Amino acid sequence: MKKVNCSARFLALVASTLAIALISGPANAQDDGARTYWKGRAGTNAMSVQYLNMNLQASDTVQFDPSHYIYPAADAQADIFILSWARHMTLFNKPSILSANLVGGSVDVKFDTAITPPEFLPPGVVPGTSFSQSASGYADPSVQLDMNLFGTPKLPAIFSYMNYEPTWTLDAAFMLGVPLGQYDDDQVVNMGLNRFYGRVAFPFKYHFRVFSPGYRSSLEVVPSVWLFADNDDFLGQTLKNDPMWQIEAHWTHDITRHFFASLDLLYRNGFQSAIDGTDFGSDIEIGEIGFTLNFEVTPNVTIRTSFSSNVFGDSDIDTSMIRLQFIYAWDRAIENLKKLGGE
Amino acid sequence: MRRKNIDTCSVITRHNFAKAASKVLISLCLCVVSSALLLFTGTAVAQQSERPNFLVIVADDLGYSDLGSYGGEINTPVLDDLAQQGMRYTDFYVAPTCSVTRSMLMSGMDNHLAGLGNMGEMLAPNQVGQPGYEGVLNKRVASVAALLRDGGYHTYMAGKWHLGLQPDQIPHARGFERDFSLLVGGGDHFDDGWNIEWQIPKGPYTEDGQPVEKLPKDFYSTKNYTDKTIQFIEEGRDDGKPFLAYMAFTAPHGPLQVPDDWLRRYKNQYDEGWDVIRERRIARMQELGIVEEGVSTAERMWFLPRGSQLAPGVRIASGRKMEIYASMVEYMDDQIGRVFDYLKDIGEYDNTVVIFFSDNGAEGADLVKMFSGQVGSMGWMHAGANFAESGHNSIGRKGTFAEYGAAWAQVGAAPFRLYKGYVTEGGTRSPLIVSGPGVQGAGAVNTTAIMHVMDLAPTLLELAGVEHPATFQGRDILPMQGKSWVSTLHGEAQSPRSSDDYLGFELFGNRAIRQGDWKIGWHLDPFGTGEWQLFNLDADPGEQFDLSEKFPEKRAELMALWDEYEEMNGVIIGNRSLLEGAKKQLPTPVFESSSYPPVRGMEKISHKKLIELINQK
Repeated sequence: MKKVNCSARFLALVASTLAIALISGPANAQDDGARTYWKGRAGTNAMSVQYLNMNLQASDTVQFDPSHYIYPAADAQADIFILSWARHMTLFNKPSILSANLVGGSVDVKFDTAITPPEFLPPGVVPGTSFSQSASGYADPSVQLDMNLFGTPKLPAIFSYMNYEPTWTLDAAFMLGVPLGQYDDDQVVNMGLNRFYGRVAFPFKYHFRVFSPGYRSSLEVVPSVWLFADNDDFLGQTLKNDPMWQIEAHWTHDITRHFFASLDLLYRNGFQSAIDGTDFGSDIEIGEIGFTLNFEVTPNVTIRTSFSSNVFGDSDIDTSMIRLQFIYAWDRAIENLKKLGGE
Repeated sequence: MRRKNIDTCSVITRHNFAKAASKVLISLCLCVVSSALLLFTGTAVAQQSERPNFLVIVADDLGYSDLGSYGGEINTPVLDDLAQQGMRYTDFYVAPTCSVTRSMLMSGMDNHLAGLGNMGEMLAPNQVGQPGYEGVLNKRVASVAALLRDGGYHTYMAGKWHLGLQPDQIPHARGFERDFSLLVGGGDHFDDGWNIEWQIPKGPYTEDGQPVEKLPKDFYSTKNYTDKTIQFIEEGRDDGKPFLAYMAFTAPHGPLQVPDDWLRRYKNQYDEGWDVIRERRIARMQELGIVEEGVSTAERMWFLPRGSQLAPGVRIASGRKMEIYASMVEYMDDQIGRVFDYLKDIGEYDNTVVIFFSDNGAEGADLVKMFSGQVGSMGWMHAGANFAESGHNSIGRKGTFAEYGAAWAQVGAAPFRLYKGYVTEGGTRSPLIVSGPGVQGAGAVNTTAIMHVMDLAPTLLELAGVEHPATFQGRDILPMQGKSWVSTLHGEAQSPRSSDDYLGFELFGNRAIRQGDWKIGWHLDPFGTGEWQLFNLDADPGEQFDLSEKFPEKRAELMALWDEYEEMNGVIIGNRSLLEGAKKQLPTPVFESSSYPPVRGMEKISHKKLIELINQK
């Protein structure tokens, strides 16, 4: 086994973990985020701009391959901007949401090689020192189609939305990431993944209380699986990753008519890596808990902030994420009615 | 009360004969003593075994056409069945508002004499302190409950009182042995208990004359009043006395609220808008014989658009309120069924005279706006803090105070004009179903009798064999003005009123007289002209055509009757009226093309056709 491959596997893990966080859904630190799959009237649009600050620290006890190696400490930080667009529509007589994300920003990763056996360090790296890699630019864009399977009627008009009082709903969502983002095959840290990837999710919601602003509560559970194509140019080798299973959950509750809070949970497991056919390390397991506060400033404008941190799973990885999101939503029919109202 | 005692008698044996005989002797002694006491109090009591129970059920703000047996689409199987067992009356009158009606129900007197010349909450400055304007059931009358109680009846009440808050004015003090009463005019149907008036922020309840500190957590007015009625009857039936049970539901009075399980019982059934529903009701009323075919029915209120001209979302938002209202009515019907089932179980149903009616026409006002509409007022603060929630999916639940407004009220009032608060037919005509022993004509509709809520007290007294005394508890009381229905109920007369008798109405300055088929009405602008208008109710129950010019003598005749009525009852026209500002509050009249949307159902009749109809009749 080449030393470089070992380092690369680790770095790939770090980078991929961050990247998954970046690409998942239309813009949330806790992946899709609370109330992402709530259906609006067909024709409603939303644009979102969000900033995420993410940190990852791997302590010196991280053991990526329990049969062989102890790997070094690492410290990664990312500043990410995501521009998202989503449109509610009726597809095959079902309420659906089509969304797209453009991601950009920068990622910096710093490695401490103090305890790393010299043979496993990248070329040119002196044992006992640290080295860094960074990337910036666009990440891979993605598109997602979510379609309700049960529990929500099509909502083509204002009046149909007025009759909407969901109890439980089940959706199917398909996401595809396209490898158009920045990628340097000499680096282990990149913004793009240099491969297609996708996700299949089945968002489930149960609505408690009254489906009326100020009174809504929901339990949302989104089981999903991430699938990755091969990266055939990973430092000149082929990187494969097993599927990654994920469960995302939110308990959301209206505090007032224009303010809701959510308790968020995210669990991921899987993503076993293999380089040139050889497995490295073990599955990752990360469990994060966080919260979201969502303020509807005007009927069109919403500001949302989230925080999350891992609290269970791999004990040697610490992650934290802070997000600030600005959403502007509009519906042409409602905008026209506002004109009549003198606005 | 007639008990299931036949079997008990038949199983008396020698071993317990002496014991039974002693009980009989004691009972006889008690009867003699109580009879003597009753004679002493100036009342005469008929043979106890012959006397029926009375179950008087009053709905609050129920519209004339809401019940299935009166043409409504609301599911009311229990009351419809009652109508098949008994008789429906089409020309039964109440006052335009609740407390006013209740004063007449309790006293058998015109409201201007009984203390509710005006609602206590709405007294004009020149009415304050005047006799007949006490705002409570005054002491010049004795309540029918007190007279029946003294006449050997158990007297129970559950529901709305609205005839006085002071200890000597509450149900327990005015003749009800047992009560569970909301003392004010309305309020939250759930355990929150909010009253719409900030001065008394929580609806005051009494039970057996004592204040209720806290309503039970699962309280819902209609259910709890029903529970209490059954409880009172059950707990009092051991002594075999008959009972008067007065179920004064607060449903479907606003706020429109119903238990969650019932909220969507009528989901989307009113999305078509009020015109379609109203026209269907009128067609059904004609099928049932409630309304004669070809007569003039009221126009849609001129300030309301045709429902089909509204955007679907607006119709749905409005229809949601009517959905909840309909659920409230059906829920009430269901609970009345519980009482009937109970009475059947204990063998009392067949000996119970059941009387069902509404206290006034359908409610067209938004009471929350009325009581808390002035921004910055205490009422505004009270409403904002406690029951301001108005989300489309929220209304009907705890914490919401929705009303369905004028558009749906005119559906409830179909085929009549206007609604609660006005002395038009829409405000004062109520469905009336009477059933029970002696009531003839099962399932029939009586369109001849002209009846009034103040007839109820004399009717009950006559059926109970209790005479109305000249004095009560040491004070002189007025003789009752109502006319007993007994001969009408027994099929011996078509109406308790002769062609010379007339009915008078006055509230908030609006006034009316009905004699036979003729009616004069005086309404403040914009619902009237500020002049007396003459209507022929036989041909024009919708009060659409003022016939003053065509029949001036008739108008003058009825105006003279008004003068008589005013003087006889001490009417004081208020120098301020609740309805004074109505003109400014109404939206611009709504006009519509004659070609679109197509008019469904009811064809309006011309003035010429109307005159032909009158001449024919």
